Amino acid sequence: MSARTKIFFYGTIVLFMIFSLCQPGLADVLEKAYHSPKQVNQQLKTWAKQYPQLVRLHTIGKSSGGCELLVLEIARRDSRLPSPGERPAVFIGGNPEGTHLVATEAALVLAEKILSRATKDEFTKKFLTTHTVYLAPLLNPDAAQRYFARVKVESMTNARPIDDDLDELVDEDGPEDLNKDGFITQMRVKDPEGTWIPDPKEPRLLRRADPKKGEKGIYKVYTEGVDNDGDGRYNEDPPGGVIVCQNFPHDFDYNNHQTGLWPVSEPETIALLKFLTSHKNIGFMLNFSSENTILNMKQTGRAQAGSDKVRVPRRFATFLGLDPEKEYTLKELVNILKGMNIGGGMEIDESMIAMMLGLGPAMDLDRQDRAYLEKIQEEYKEVLKKASLKYPEKRAQGVMKGSLTAYAYFQYGVPVLAVDVWQVPEPEKKKKETAETLTVEKLKKMSSEDFLALGEEKIAAFLKEQGAPPNFKAATVMEMVKSGRLTPARMAEFMAKMPRKTGGKDGDHPQAYLLEWSDKKLKGQGFVNWQPFDHPTLGKVEIGGFVPFVRTAPPVEEIKKAVDVHTDFFLDMLKKLPTLEIAEVKVKPLADQLYKVEIYLTNRGWWPTSTAQGRRARTAWPIRVELKLSAEQKVFSGRRVTTVPYIEGSGAVKKVEWTIIGKKGSRLEIVAWTPRLGKVKKSIVLSK
Amino acid sequence: MFNRITRIFVVIGMLGLILNFSPLSSLAGEKVHLTFDHYYDHAELTQALKALQQAYPQMMKVISLGKSYQGRDIWGVILNNPKTGPAEHKPGYYMDGNIHGNEIQGTEVVLYTIWYLLKNYGETELATRLLDEKAFYFIPTMNPDSRDWYIHKAADPNMPRSGLIPYDNDRDGVADEDGPEDLNGDGSITLMRKRDPNGNMKPHPDDPRILIPVRPGEKGEYILLGLEGIDNDGDGLVNEDGPGGYDMNRNYGFNWQPDYVQRGAGDYPFCFPETKATRDFLLAHPNIIGAQNFHNYGGMILRGPGAKNMGEPPLADRRVYDEIGRKGEKILPGYRYIVVYKDLYPVYGGSIDFIYNVLGAYTFSNELDMDYYGTLRELLGPASPQRGEKTPEDEELQRWRRYQRMLEEMFYHDHVLMGEQYTDWQPYKHPLYGDIEIGGVKKFGRRVSPLFKLAETCHRNAAFCLYHADQLPRLEFDGVKVTRMGGDMYQIDVALRNTRVTPTISAVALQKKLHRVDKFKIEGPQVKLLMAGQITDRLRQRVRPIDPQGKNFIWVKSGIPGYTRTEFRFLVKGKGKIKLIYDSLKGGYYTQTVDLK
Repeated sequence: MSARTKIFFYGTIVLFMIFSLCQPGLADVLEKAYHSPKQVNQQLKTWAKQYPQLVRLHTIGKSSGGCELLVLEIARRDSRLPSPGERPAVFIGGNPEGTHLVATEAALVLAEKILSRATKDEFTKKFLTTHTVYLAPLLNPDAAQRYFARVKVESMTNARPIDDDLDELVDEDGPEDLNKDGFITQMRVKDPEGTWIPDPKEPRLLRRADPKKGEKGIYKVYTEGVDNDGDGRYNEDPPGGVIVCQNFPHDFDYNNHQTGLWPVSEPETIALLKFLTSHKNIGFMLNFSSENTILNMKQTGRAQAGSDKVRVPRRFATFLGLDPEKEYTLKELVNILKGMNIGGGMEIDESMIAMMLGLGPAMDLDRQDRAYLEKIQEEYKEVLKKASLKYPEKRAQGVMKGSLTAYAYFQYGVPVLAVDVWQVPEPEKKKKETAETLTVEKLKKMSSEDFLALGEEKIAAFLKEQGAPPNFKAATVMEMVKSGRLTPARMAEFMAKMPRKTGGKDGDHPQAYLLEWSDKKLKGQGFVNWQPFDHPTLGKVEIGGFVPFVRTAPPVEEIKKAVDVHTDFFLDMLKKLPTLEIAEVKVKPLADQLYKVEIYLTNRGWWPTSTAQGRRARTAWPIRVELKLSAEQKVFSGRRVTTVPYIEGSGAVKKVEWTIIGKKGSRLEIVAWTPRLGKVKKSIVLSK
Repeated sequence: MFNRITRIFVVIGMLGLILNFSPLSSLAGEKVHLTFDHYYDHAELTQALKALQQAYPQMMKVISLGKSYQGRDIWGVILNNPKTGPAEHKPGYYMDGNIHGNEIQGTEVVLYTIWYLLKNYGETELATRLLDEKAFYFIPTMNPDSRDWYIHKAADPNMPRSGLIPYDNDRDGVADEDGPEDLNGDGSITLMRKRDPNGNMKPHPDDPRILIPVRPGEKGEYILLGLEGIDNDGDGLVNEDGPGGYDMNRNYGFNWQPDYVQRGAGDYPFCFPETKATRDFLLAHPNIIGAQNFHNYGGMILRGPGAKNMGEPPLADRRVYDEIGRKGEKILPGYRYIVVYKDLYPVYGGSIDFIYNVLGAYTFSNELDMDYYGTLRELLGPASPQRGEKTPEDEELQRWRRYQRMLEEMFYHDHVLMGEQYTDWQPYKHPLYGDIEIGGVKKFGRRVSPLFKLAETCHRNAAFCLYHADQLPRLEFDGVKVTRMGGDMYQIDVALRNTRVTPTISAVALQKKLHRVDKFKIEGPQVKLLMAGQITDRLRQRVRPIDPQGKNFIWVKSGIPGYTRTEFRFLVKGKGKIKLIYDSLKGGYYTQTVDLK
């Protein structure tokens, strides 16, 4: 071959290879690299073309940076089935942070599993005829895009230009990649007013000097870059933006302008909320994000009143004949008021009581809902254990202020589970856990005698390891257990609720685990070692620090197993959804032309038909039961249209009954409906 | 050739011509004739605004801020004298009305203010100065859809408060299917009552048209069935799902709470086209530092916070509010200057809190008009029941007071409104309830200004607003001293005095870093600002340095507080004439020329 032909020939092969590698694989969407926002949308469009009977795409908006925001709808389309908008639906959200790239991959894998099982697996086949799945794998594409930029910057903001430093110039002072390594890391400068020192155990990491320990600060730390606008501050007005994942309306932080000047101010949040509020059939949410709310149920705010027990203000208490010093649950108050017949037939619910008493928004998980979430937690922990995922449970993050997951639970009123899928695993413990080592788990089941038998030394070591406050001495604890004031089980409860102690051993830098993992697994590529650099204004600096996305976008090989386990877990969660079904209808003739009609409604799923918080927020509607009578029929007792607040799961039943005046043989129809569970109806004939 | 008599006639004739065209008489100054004993629907309002704009094209701009749900233009009006500077260089004052569809008189007050300013420009010192020195922004009606419904269709004094986007209030899958109906065709939604020997209401002994509740154990004669209407959807409830069903003044994005905490708040802040358009108008004009939202009723001058959890505004801001609010009580006799969460009821997501806490502008909300009856009002005390423990004597006194008010109200309807706004009980055959009676106060009979009072409501509230506008920051250069320091280096001492109570930057804006701070600039060919400072103690020559960081301006971080004179010292290099420019986002733009020699 001539040289030219050779170039052509090999060039074509190379191009072909590049092309095929870039093409989103059909059989295995999780390949060698993370999907860019463009590739994510590309994949969704490909699926829409591939599965026209199952998939539709909704364009819900555009990100600030102009990226299309797409929601994938998966539902078996058939004229004999109710339209997907009328079927109970699950919403699966991914990566509102934008930086948590693992979350987007997991969402794509989940979609792929559903699509590939749609024809093969019995459960999935049936599920897609009775339910709809909405899936949005990348809720903050602008932030994700920065991973794919020439210079990687880790920031959860969208691309909206904002004058962060209020100097009338917009986005004029962002970071620069001074050492041209493709990453924005940090700069440290020796400065007499510096407050940072190298960590004694791991000098690559910096920590604040503690004057109580005789330490004096050495460094000031900045983000890599120059002071573009000459105001003395560095990189204080970067390109972008608002932190989308904290722009949702529950417990919104009005004091942090980075999360928005007001809730739902960003095109990304507006698009998502418009979609959620216009699709009233969504009754369940599963999120892939930086949170793991299955393991960490801690909330961001404090309730004005306790989560469920409240005091009735004096002016209402005297009016209602209640004790203003006593604490009641909202449920008790509902029952008391119903008994008094206040409101004349108007539906009194917990939300109304809360509003009347001026209780403000709920800030804690409702006790009833929490019990269900704790059961899920048990299952999830089993799944993690079985898969030996080595997920570091103590580093599971709870919701942040203004989070999507918190909005979903508190305001949108649905059960919601959020998982982070993968976290940097704990470094191998030097001390092996023996059968004798005490853990919180063991403590739960221990008897007081066995506990005391461990001896003061072991108990002291255990308390120290768990991060108990220093005045919580072993001797004190043993006294309390001896006297019966404290049981091991109670102690285990306390410890589970204590703030988690991050960082492994005593005195370790909180990020030492990350550095260790970077050294071992990434061959040190997760950390840029401090190297000197001549800075135009700061003089001699050193540039270094963790590489952006080191925690949230590890090599794809690392996450494959975790993604597989978590997507399977979420698929299992789909089996627990509540249902609305008619268990039985009974017709009993009472007299000539007088019949008793009873309908037994049931929920054969595991979750109740709504969460207690959903009912309190009034976004989970009661079940509306309506009689459709024929012309000569009349309701003698009972209301033609009535509501059932909710039905517990596992086959619990609620009965609704009427007495009807009607001719023998006449027909009537009973319809039970609620937007999140769909409609069921039964036609009956008045006869024996 | 002109003899003496002809000359005299010519002079008189010329004088006549001159007088005719001179703006000396106020009648000649009113180019657009508007009356304020009339409620303007959207079409009439549009016409009036367009007429004003045509008559005053230099000063007035009318723009569409967007479309309401039903497609009506939401009009925005900007008044500014371009000859004295662009609007954004002046402190801005904002007014809106009629966010609640039934609270219509706010629109007339806004329209009156626009009309008043324009026709008195060049006539009175105040109107002239205000239009020259300040920029005015108006949204006469924020809720044109419900306004037109209220004016033209059957309504009652309290509704429609909401916008008209269909809302499924009764959660039956259908929206707005069961609203009230005007069964007796009197143009209003009144009340329905039914004779019932076991009822809990009885007619007042002195006026059988009034229904009062029976005492425990007493036998009644009627039950009150609620507002006029039928059970349209056959669910056993009447009027449970009427037009709309939300409250736009709970939809703003500060301290917003969802529906179960704050009824009517909508799904998320600014989800309604009307609130979104209003917000965008406010954001587009960051020079706004004073504001007013009109509502009805009760005779109040309200300030935030709307809810206790927000906390009181910083002391410095409270002082500004107090000074203006208390003066307001004199301009509007009978109106009380009070705080929303403390003296009214909690409001989450209200406009008043958004404009103050996010935009840093001092906002009042006036509840226009009150009950214009009850000369014994002071004796009778407040109509709402007292809270706390009550003795049986207290309860009786409460009852008596309440019924006295009801009698006063009926007297007012009979002899002041002369029956125009009251329908006496008439029998009606109701499909669900059978034989009932319909009657009551008609839609214009309560809450809105009666037409004979409307002009006064407009004028006094406009006067309050213009007083507030006149209290917006007003700076003047107060003394410039130039000292040559050698070569072409000069020291310039210059003072700025704020002659009004409103600071150029509100305390809340400083606290929350809501917007950029003030700039003090030096402009001139070849001029360079070397160093600057604020003279904090002239006697002891104490100067607080402010580093220009190589630029020709400094940031004045705290602005110029109300009633304060601040002195600055600049060290510049240059020669000839230079300009000192004080550039405040909300406090105005002021220029002083200085000769360096």
